[in-house]
Amino acid sequence: MTTSAFRLAILSGVLALWEIAARAGNPLLYVPPSAVLPSLVNLVALRSYPDLLEHVLLTAREIAVAYALAVAGGVGVGCALGGHRVLGRAYAPMLAALYAVPAVVWYPSLMLFFGLDAASKIAFGFLLGFFPITLAVLAGTRQVNPHLVTVARSFGASPLAVFAKVLLPGMLFTLVGGLRTGLALAVIGVIVGEVLGAKAGMGTLINHAYGLFRTADYVALVLVTLVLIVTSDVLASLVERRARRWTT
Amino acid sequence: MTVADAELIRIDGVAKRYRTASGVVDALGDVSLAVPEGQFCTIIGPSGCGKSTLLGMLAGLVGPDGGRVLIEGQPVTGPDPRRVATVFQDPGLFPWRTALENVEFGLELQGADRGRRRAVATELLGPLGLRGFAEKYPRELSGGMKQRVAIGRALAIDTKILLMDEPFGALDEQTRMLMGEWLLDIWRRTNKTVIFVTHSLHEALALSTRVVVMTARPGRIKSVLELPLGYPRAMESPELVTLRAKLWSEIRDESLRAMSES
Repeated sequence: MTTSAFRLAILSGVLALWEIAARAGNPLLYVPPSAVLPSLVNLVALRSYPDLLEHVLLTAREIAVAYALAVAGGVGVGCALGGHRVLGRAYAPMLAALYAVPAVVWYPSLMLFFGLDAASKIAFGFLLGFFPITLAVLAGTRQVNPHLVTVARSFGASPLAVFAKVLLPGMLFTLVGGLRTGLALAVIGVIVGEVLGAKAGMGTLINHAYGLFRTADYVALVLVTLVLIVTSDVLASLVERRARRWTT
Repeated sequence: MTVADAELIRIDGVAKRYRTASGVVDALGDVSLAVPEGQFCTIIGPSGCGKSTLLGMLAGLVGPDGGRVLIEGQPVTGPDPRRVATVFQDPGLFPWRTALENVEFGLELQGADRGRRRAVATELLGPLGLRGFAEKYPRELSGGMKQRVAIGRALAIDTKILLMDEPFGALDEQTRMLMGEWLLDIWRRTNKTVIFVTHSLHEALALSTRVVVMTARPGRIKSVLELPLGYPRAMESPELVTLRAKLWSEIRDESLRAMSES
């Protein structure tokens, strides 16, 4: 109760400050929340951007594909590096170094490779999501007690059974954390990609509104995007909580 | 063939060396041993004498560098859960599984259906003294209970051979003695062949039908002591006191050697 009361207080405080600050400034650049509300209503009622739904769906689809690829690639590469000690020792530092490079520097070359359509956004979302997942899987395979693997083998477990019944549950906690970070970054990758250059998607609409100084519409679009992101994060945290109860 | 039939386990001149950073270590040198069915055979010896390595070979987890290991006349090439179950010093329970689910593990790997797994494991929990603990996770169990779950997990796959690598080594003395009594009870009811590795003279004398004494590294068999005595054994009887003195004098020399070398 107190947490939500606090949240409400902070939120209304921020909105009040925003309103006051915006009214004092240039209305073209600074929109007060009172002006955003009608824009939001127009947006959701499909009056300002009638094709909003298509853009939302496109962005959601790009995120889903980018994330699926990041999970598959991250789990695969992470397991390969974690399973082979020599391979892991050779490549893990390179991976960590690549992760430290601001990923946005790769985006121009991704656009050259994949064009302005969805593919380059998916590639960028994948690139951002792939690293934290790979590193989490790698850390996870290392934190599994090797004795448990020996025990499983003594009961005749095949390599696949060892993975499914020992490694996976043993690293679930770390893995889920990585999957959640990966999702957040894949979402960021896709939307940033759209803002930087695209023909469709939420990022494009945001860029469009912003470029035309339709500031109220711009803020309304950002709010809708925020809902999309928060929804994905809530889903991820539900999965994480389930996994947390299951392990340790 | 009659001799070979009676032998469940045959170890034939096995040797093992490990390569470490400081050079090659001869862990086990030319060990031969035959164990007939139904025995409680204890292997005792100083630290680092290769007892665990020998057990690992029987479990199919360690390959010998020389010689061979036969079970029912067939060479061991890898873990064989139809014949051999192993209990380790570290119980190695899966922390995300309840006691019951841990006991079910081997049957699950063998593809037994859920109903049968549940039934077998539940029935085992009674004699394991864990009836009320089926749904507990390993972190909620005491050391002795954890090891009983691990023993239950090994018993569930109902093998002829039960390998135990210092199973009570990490427990306090009272718990150890009770666990020993309890294990005897299980062994006598199931008629399994037990190969039991220990450091404890008391355990060796209280439990075994045969004690194999190993030398310091590289481990060889120094002597074999037959114990054709009934159970429970009065450890203060003149017979056992004499046996204990004899066993201790055998082990003492080897332990001294192991100490001076390490």
